[in-house]
Amino acid sequence: MAGSQATGTLWVLLAGLVVMFVAPLVLETYTLTLLVIYAMLALSLGLIWGYGGILCFGQTAFYGLGAYTYAIAAINIGESTVPALLGILVPAIFAAALGAMMFYGRLSDVYLGVVTLVVTLIFFKFMNSTAGPEYQIGAARLGGFNGVPGFQTLNVPGDPKAYIYDRSLYYVCFLALLIVYMLVRLLLASPFGRVAVAIRENERRVELMGYDVRLQKTLLFSVSGAIAGLAGTLYASWAEIVTPGMFSLGQSAEIIIWCIVGGLGTLVGPMLGAALLGYLKFSLGQQSAIDNSMILGLILVVVVLVLPRGVVPSLVSLWERRRRRPSIRAPRRRGRRGEAPDV
Amino acid sequence: MSDVVLETRGLSMRFGGVTAVDNVDFRLRRRELRCLIGPNGAGKTTFFRCLTGILKPTAGEIHIDGHDTTGWDPHWVARLGIGIKTQVPSVMDGLSVRENIWLSAYRIAGSRDAGRLAAEAIDRLDLGTLAGATVGRLAHGERQRVELGIVMAARPWLVLLDEPAAGMTGEEVERMAEIIREINRDATVVIVEHDMQFIRSIAQQITVFSQGAVLMEDSVDAVMSDSRVRDVYLGKRG
Repeated sequence: MAGSQATGTLWVLLAGLVVMFVAPLVLETYTLTLLVIYAMLALSLGLIWGYGGILCFGQTAFYGLGAYTYAIAAINIGESTVPALLGILVPAIFAAALGAMMFYGRLSDVYLGVVTLVVTLIFFKFMNSTAGPEYQIGAARLGGFNGVPGFQTLNVPGDPKAYIYDRSLYYVCFLALLIVYMLVRLLLASPFGRVAVAIRENERRVELMGYDVRLQKTLLFSVSGAIAGLAGTLYASWAEIVTPGMFSLGQSAEIIIWCIVGGLGTLVGPMLGAALLGYLKFSLGQQSAIDNSMILGLILVVVVLVLPRGVVPSLVSLWERRRRRPSIRAPRRRGRRGEAPDV
Repeated sequence: MSDVVLETRGLSMRFGGVTAVDNVDFRLRRRELRCLIGPNGAGKTTFFRCLTGILKPTAGEIHIDGHDTTGWDPHWVARLGIGIKTQVPSVMDGLSVRENIWLSAYRIAGSRDAGRLAAEAIDRLDLGTLAGATVGRLAHGERQRVELGIVMAARPWLVLLDEPAAGMTGEEVERMAEIIREINRDATVVIVEHDMQFIRSIAQQITVFSQGAVLMEDSVDAVMSDSRVRDVYLGKRG
């Protein structure tokens, strides 16, 4: 079983590399970079929601926090290496603190969703109200509604003059996504990851085995915060400006839709969902005949009705059924979840 | 002191105006096999949940192996080396049988010995042919056995079982009795049970609960022939 998972991961990485080189032939790298960043953001939620059973409605809190941290640190420091690390670290620490508060307080399910949503909305409100000159961190003005522009974007570590932008930024983002995917796969294959999945399946049982469920969930939440923070950091470098909109309700809802459409319980699903829906939104944004969010909503409804498990899991089980067709094997009873394809 | 491994003093659990467990004093000796019986609503399961830390008692104390475990969280209670099986089979449905049991072994033994302990438990419970199957697809009796495997893989010295024979076929119940006797060879066992047939086949000492309190505590035969016990089971108050 572990072996087949490892081969699956290798195939995904290989396919990812191919896509990385082929995609720029079809689309502009500028657009592609954003899609890759969205995929990373979706991966962060796909990890805790699909594998940890934690529905965080405010994944944007960590995304925006990562972007702001990077921007503010980059203005103050100049060279991008330390700001990029801070852009991962600060959201991770914040997620650990928020997670500890929620999980040690035995908050779960819908309450957790509400609290995380409120947290990101507080960020949204707060950042919007920081236009005055008193909101200044070092040399960086928070800028309220207008956001923070004019910071040092990513550079080759150690050389502030060698900017990473356009095509090279695309490759950096894509490689980062593949590396994060691989690390998350390794994490899920480790005992820590197995326990996380076990908690999703049956929290009480894991507790009765003697595991500290609260600690496990807090750590997983923090890892997810770090990944979302990395996505935010890359976004900041791509957009060259960070604005409160990153914390908005619309953005938080979108991540959830990416995950549902792509398929929970997989990692590839949310990533693909993010890239496809992100691209759709981008192309729809170029016309004005029909409202953008209406189409997005329609897609969500159709997928939930037709493919309740999401696109990727449905495709995988279709493929496996085809492969197995000759054997007559009636499952005795359908599992609660069916067999989740692990990709 | 050394002989008594579990003791409650004045243990009470109230939910609003209802007293589910009322001032229970309970003592359990090492290597004992004790059954808790009583009609529905007698407070057996509530008492059991207090022992395991799932519920925090309103009053009284719990001592396990010299530790005052009153108000402890379930994972701390479990870490004392206590195996717990809840009423409804509590297993990880989306994982395989082997993985369910491995996770339990891993907690106490780490990755080096977990595989061996898990294999032993699978063997002892005769789950070998099902080891790769997803637990959610198994029949009820098989799931009960998987949960017992989870409990046994951690090599507990004290095992608390809530209705291990519930919903099983006659054959499965017999097998369960055998497994429990085997566990009892080196572990202390507490069983909450309804099934009189099953209790007759395994019990030595029985504690009878009625309306949250201990009605009597004696050997199987004495309990079975006691008129008060028969009355509470038949619903007579007297």
